[in-house]
Amino acid sequence: MIRTTLALRACPGCVALVLAGGIASGCGGGSDGRPVLTFSGSAVGREAEILERQFDRFETAHPPWRVELRSTPDSADERRQLYVQWLNARAARPDVLQLDVIWTAEFAAAGWIRALDDFAPVVSDFFPGSIEADRWRGSLYALPWFVDVGMLYWRTDLMPQPPATFEALMQQADDVMQGEGLPFGFVWQGARYEGLVTVFLEHLGGFGGQIVDEHGEITVDSEEAVRALTYMRDAIWSRHVVPSAVLTWQEEQSRFAFQNGQAAFMRNWPYAHALMQDSRGSRVAGKFDISLMPAAAGGSPTAALGGSHLAINAYSAHANAAFDLIAFLTAPDQMLERARVAGQFPSRLSLYDTPALTEALGLAASSARRVIESARPRPVTPIYSELSDILQIRLHRALSQQQEPREALGEAASAMRAALTRAGLDGGTRRYD
Amino acid sequence: MRRWLPTFATWLLVGAGLFPLYWVVAASLGPESSLFEGRSVIPSVIVFDHYRALFDERDFLIPIRNSLIVASATTLLAVTAGSLCAYALARLRFRGKTTILAAVLAISMFPQVAIVSPLFLALRAAGLINTYPGLILPYLTFAMPLSIWLLVGFFRQLPDDIEEAGLIDGASRIRTFWEIVVPLSWPGVTATAILTFLYSWNEFLFALSFTLEPERYTVPVAIALFRGQYQVAWGQILAAAIVATIPVALLVLIAQRRIVGGLTAGAVKG
Amino acid sequence: MPQRMSIAESREVRMAWLFAAPALLAIALVAAFPVLWTFWESLHRHDLRLPWLGRPFVGLSNYREAFTDARAWSAIAHTLFFTATTVSAELALGLALALGLNRPLRARGPLRAAALLPWAMPTVVAALIWRFMFESPGGSSWFVDPLAAWVPIVLADVWKMMPFVALLLLAGLQNIDHSMYEAAALDGAGPVRQFAFITLPLLRPAIAAAVVFRSLDAFRVFDVIYVMTGGGPGTATEPISLYAFTALFRDLRFGFGSALAMMVFFVSFFLALAWIRLLATPESVT
Repeated sequence: MIRTTLALRACPGCVALVLAGGIASGCGGGSDGRPVLTFSGSAVGREAEILERQFDRFETAHPPWRVELRSTPDSADERRQLYVQWLNARAARPDVLQLDVIWTAEFAAAGWIRALDDFAPVVSDFFPGSIEADRWRGSLYALPWFVDVGMLYWRTDLMPQPPATFEALMQQADDVMQGEGLPFGFVWQGARYEGLVTVFLEHLGGFGGQIVDEHGEITVDSEEAVRALTYMRDAIWSRHVVPSAVLTWQEEQSRFAFQNGQAAFMRNWPYAHALMQDSRGSRVAGKFDISLMPAAAGGSPTAALGGSHLAINAYSAHANAAFDLIAFLTAPDQMLERARVAGQFPSRLSLYDTPALTEALGLAASSARRVIESARPRPVTPIYSELSDILQIRLHRALSQQQEPREALGEAASAMRAALTRAGLDGGTRRYD
Repeated sequence: MRRWLPTFATWLLVGAGLFPLYWVVAASLGPESSLFEGRSVIPSVIVFDHYRALFDERDFLIPIRNSLIVASATTLLAVTAGSLCAYALARLRFRGKTTILAAVLAISMFPQVAIVSPLFLALRAAGLINTYPGLILPYLTFAMPLSIWLLVGFFRQLPDDIEEAGLIDGASRIRTFWEIVVPLSWPGVTATAILTFLYSWNEFLFALSFTLEPERYTVPVAIALFRGQYQVAWGQILAAAIVATIPVALLVLIAQRRIVGGLTAGAVKG
Repeated sequence: MPQRMSIAESREVRMAWLFAAPALLAIALVAAFPVLWTFWESLHRHDLRLPWLGRPFVGLSNYREAFTDARAWSAIAHTLFFTATTVSAELALGLALALGLNRPLRARGPLRAAALLPWAMPTVVAALIWRFMFESPGGSSWFVDPLAAWVPIVLADVWKMMPFVALLLLAGLQNIDHSMYEAAALDGAGPVRQFAFITLPLLRPAIAAAVVFRSLDAFRVFDVIYVMTGGGPGTATEPISLYAFTALFRDLRFGFGSALAMMVFFVSFFLALAWIRLLATPESVT
């Protein structure tokens, strides 16, 4: 009896110790006393390899800092969710974040990432479209790291040159399907996710339309848009050039189809290029090339502008060191090496004039540059994910024949306008006050 | 024939209930290739690859440590403060007892999602997100009422006159409590502690909302967040599931009479 | 009219409050106050992604939005469906197990422990076990069909909670006087009639307590569905708690999410009051 009462009396003490320990263990530096910078981003495949190397170099050049990689899920959506959770909870780490280009405005407007104006970075060498996406209310919030653009992949062994118009694309695809017996003419990403919006954006630009016009107004219900969406739907169900399976495909599934030699054309991002040149897994190695997306009369070839940007956590305790890391990773030679290892297009204009980039990428830097210059960003607005969600649902309904394109786009446009009004962004998606 | 049928049926029901557990244990001890196909009911080969990977690659000791700390601290606080309160409600006379008891019970029924957002805002303002106190304090929302409720049931069962012996001797209320009442109701106190620990170990929603890094994940959160990688590592998930179940399984096996007593005392009787 | 208390009595009252204070204060702080705060939040517009909008008072407009939101109605329908199926299944199976355990079995202790095991494990683990059982990579998946996905969900919950219901009913069964059965047997009543006319009526209070208690839990369901399907495919298996959680922590709409959470609270509160009243009425114990 006495022993139990003693134990009970000692307990509040234990509790206090545990609590104190708990509070104390929440902060503190690394295990060897060196201050730690935490970087969070994508580390898929070879990206992890190049990151480790670059971190080592940074640590050598900037003692006593140590850089730690905090891993995130491979899926972009899940990564964004994790960032939202951390930043909304005002976590001090990670210090540096790799953002998808469509998240910068949202994070900046919510006050989650730090403005970089204090550091006065030089931005003239970056692609203008990428820098524009990093501005919110006049300030710069991130630096572009690498660019992603939607490109047309075509089979060099099955046709003399790539099509320049949408109609030519249909015709050539049809011919190849009949002539070579290929199951698919043209494959792209049509699942109900962000990728579908980028594919639509490219068709839309090709027909002369835009999601948002120069004044920031939603124009996704224009005649051009209806024509673009109708074209996409007919390609599947009337012309049978695009398989209906694309409505469940994301990047990898469409890549497999083209890589296995089953398609004449593919729309995909640059990452696929290096993978498909590897003859060990690819049946089309050496038999394909990239080109601009086609256009119709009144439109121009359009690539959706994607890519990753680097930003600083607004609650980071190491803003200066974080900027040093960002400046390091976006330096030209680091970008060149990343291009060589991971096959990603650098965001610096000057690199496209060097033969080193062509050699690093395994494709002509000039072709890449042409596609990047045709690239158009998606609306730069804090509620982009909500707008994209609205558009995705309607696009997918129209493409799976549950709704007419005109009706679907009309609904999407009004819902998007309503969302902007509700968010107090009535000035459309204008980036400046 | 009639005699053994119900017994047989009972064994069958319990056995069927345990089969999924057995299936998972067998899967976790088998090689990666046979996770989904080509598996017989009795495993032919046993490997510990998944368990090794669990502790080497994923550092599963960390969530275990976190869960142990949080569940223990919660149980300590809840049972200590709860027993004092339960004693007052069960054995001392004052007005408002029934209202308080009803309120405590009602509060234990609060859906967690209804209080998670203000708790989040408060913890964030106090800088307690992703810390141990940041979990222990919210856990009291269910641990405290649970402890009070169970202990009231146990204290009520004690004979009426045990305090009088102490009081006549001139001891204070609190000494009577520590030295007479608590030791006498020790089975009830341990049952309460075990159940409180169980609920705290298994808790998920608060842990999901109030932790940010694997360094502070509890066991349920760590397991749940294994998913989301490109390839779902089922072998490791199952191994983790088994490891997560072992402490509570041990508790149940050792203390099942106490647990059952606690549950039925609190839940069915008044 | 309260009589004046003696000094000893008033001292007792003071001691009582002293004893009760720490626990009650803690509860008030971490549970009672937050609920009031959630209610207050539900009357405001609070979007954490749009800080420039501030936190204006908007009265009942969040509730109005919830009532006209198809997804909210679906979530409630899903929750009611889940509650109805799991509670009935748990009741039926739990009664069977309770009847089975209510006999002089040799291995009663270990049998009870074995039966309790599913209940004791984290819900997350139970969900993953059943997800694994129904997972078939390559084949057609249960989890992409809006209706089929419910099967593993309900199974996981019933598997986990049925032992608990069995326990509650077992306690009720053990309170029934054996002599009633003997008398009935003498009157020529067989086991079925004994069950229908003695067991069931006398077990009614325990059954009612179990039903209300489990309904309360089932209505608040979160863990098992979050882990097993995440509410998917799409939002086909999303219960109201998960929708509230998503609105709060993924969409960061604290005002709207709080309104949804309050809806869960009101229903739970109503059920909790019913359960408390059930407990308060004296049970018929022979």
